[in-house]
Amino acid sequence: MFSQLRKKFAGSGSHFLAFLLCALILPSAAVVLVAVAGMLNQEAAMEAAVSSYVQDLAESLSYHLSSDSDVWTFSMLSDFTRFPFFSWGPSIPGWVALIGQDGRVIISSPGSIGVISSIWHNNLPVGQAIRVEDKEGAQYTLAVYPVKRPSGGYVVAAVSWTQLLGGLVGVVRIWPVLIVVMAGLSFFAIRLLWRRVVTPLRSLVSKIDRMTIGRDVPEKLPEGTIQEIESVHNALQRYAQAAVERDNLRNRYVRDVVQAQEQERMDMAREIHDGALQDVTALLQQIHMIEDDENKTSRLKRTEIIAKTVVRELRAFCDELAPPWMDLGINEAITELAERLSQAYDIVIMADCDEEANEAGIENDKILSLLRIIQEAVSNAVRHGQADEVNIQLTSEDGALMLEIEDNGNGFDSSHINHETLRVEGHRGLASMTERMSLMGGTLKIASKPGEGTKITASLKV
Amino acid sequence: MAVRILLADDHPLTRSGIAEFVRREESFELVAEAEDGIEAWEKIRELRPDVALLDIRMPGEDGVKVAQRVKNEGMNTAIVMLTSYDAQQYVIASLRAGARGFVLKTVSPKELTTAITTVAKGGLYLDPEVASVMGEQDFIPEQLSVREREVLLLAAKGLSSKEVAKKLFISERTVQTHLASIYDKLGSRNKTEALLLALKYGVVTLEELLEEE
Repeated sequence: MFSQLRKKFAGSGSHFLAFLLCALILPSAAVVLVAVAGMLNQEAAMEAAVSSYVQDLAESLSYHLSSDSDVWTFSMLSDFTRFPFFSWGPSIPGWVALIGQDGRVIISSPGSIGVISSIWHNNLPVGQAIRVEDKEGAQYTLAVYPVKRPSGGYVVAAVSWTQLLGGLVGVVRIWPVLIVVMAGLSFFAIRLLWRRVVTPLRSLVSKIDRMTIGRDVPEKLPEGTIQEIESVHNALQRYAQAAVERDNLRNRYVRDVVQAQEQERMDMAREIHDGALQDVTALLQQIHMIEDDENKTSRLKRTEIIAKTVVRELRAFCDELAPPWMDLGINEAITELAERLSQAYDIVIMADCDEEANEAGIENDKILSLLRIIQEAVSNAVRHGQADEVNIQLTSEDGALMLEIEDNGNGFDSSHINHETLRVEGHRGLASMTERMSLMGGTLKIASKPGEGTKITASLKV
Repeated sequence: MAVRILLADDHPLTRSGIAEFVRREESFELVAEAEDGIEAWEKIRELRPDVALLDIRMPGEDGVKVAQRVKNEGMNTAIVMLTSYDAQQYVIASLRAGARGFVLKTVSPKELTTAITTVAKGGLYLDPEVASVMGEQDFIPEQLSVREREVLLLAAKGLSSKEVAKKLFISERTVQTHLASIYDKLGSRNKTEALLLALKYGVVTLEELLEEE
């Protein structure tokens, strides 16, 4: 239900604004209405209570003061003091008085003289409560009852509305003003909210919609944006920046890979062309010449030597592309490679592999990756580190393989090493090894200090 | 009596070349040819040749696996691996599978004859082009200690220093010290060479290498 509403109002800006205004103003208007109704209700109830009060008061007094004697004796007057309201007034704000036939006040409660004279006139209806107003506009409910005496006279009892409800009446007059002020403030607050929060958020959303991740970075926000939106915007900016950098990195990496691939193909073509192809051509020439040759045996001997060279060359070429001895298992593959590298570089290379590692059943592509890491590491150790001893260790533990390659070379400061620095500093081999290991769900760590050799650790789950 | 020979190779040109040579040799008798590992094993079991020339990479089952079967069955057929792979680890793997000979396909007829004759007599023949130390000049190696022989045999079976140490209840460091001493005495640069030289000089025998623990 609420989400439907929200959907409806989120669609257009002005609708949402109207919704906000209603949401703020309607409840306050309802409060005012309820308050006014309550007050009117209260006033009617009070009116009834006050009317019956003054009627009762005037009636009972007139009854008590009725007599056959027509003279107001002193003793009688002193008797009035039995009625406390003549000394203190009635129990609710107002007054009582005994008024003679001629309109003279015989006795009254304190503070009522002026009021009586301004209200009293002989035409006031007798025996019922009425509402009157004095010259100053103060309202009273009063009741007049005749005193049964030969000389006549009236008891008047009155309750002052102004005194009884003065504060409340004042509030009723202020209410509308308060409501208008509140509505104005709400409107102002909503406008502010709209301009400083909703509008910037909307522009942010449309910015995100238009953005191409990995290419665009949103421009700076104008001054005066609220802090929360600014931090959201900053986060977006950081994210976009990171995406751009990541994309750049990936593009460079792909370019590197493509370049390396093409370079490799060119190298292979050259190697075959300059090596095996030349040798086979020479072989063919030797065979052509056999027929006319006097000394066939020596010609054949030469042919055999050339053929053997081709075989050796092609074998070495295959080994470089993807050594067939990989099939024997990771231990044999590493041992074979270590011995070949040891011969090729004329350095000591010790390979020590757990027999268990062979039972882990590692796939050939992973074996090849580990072999490449060893090739790269040994080549770096010799070329950059001038190492003459390399220790290779393969350990197997809980289905994970760990390959450690340690050399006794010059070492370097490896604390700043990451993918990008590797690449920049020309260790593309190691950079792509790192990438390859992470592709296979493994890790490659390089630890080195100047003068302490280098240790490369590759970990791989099987 | 002529040496009865089986030849298995999936490459027809190579197979016919070698077959022709074997047929030409009077002291040899080519009893069967096979073009994959499975056929080779079936024919070996059926014909019980004296010598089987097996290519390593063949469809169905590779030569090393066939050699393993022959060894497991306790048959008298001597296996010679005939391959174009010049990796020393293939030699080691073949020896572990019970082969007694290892020759490259570029071998000369004379060398192949020597290889077949040697293994038929129960000897060991490894092509010097791949097992380079086999061809080097002979020298009398220093005697290995009992412990060193134990270490060498375990290492030859493919155990790492750590694993050898665990098996012999000694420290890894001690194992490495023993290995260094073995290399020194045999004049080898690494584990593989040490094993090949030990076999060459008779310091250990092929039977010892094949013994199950």
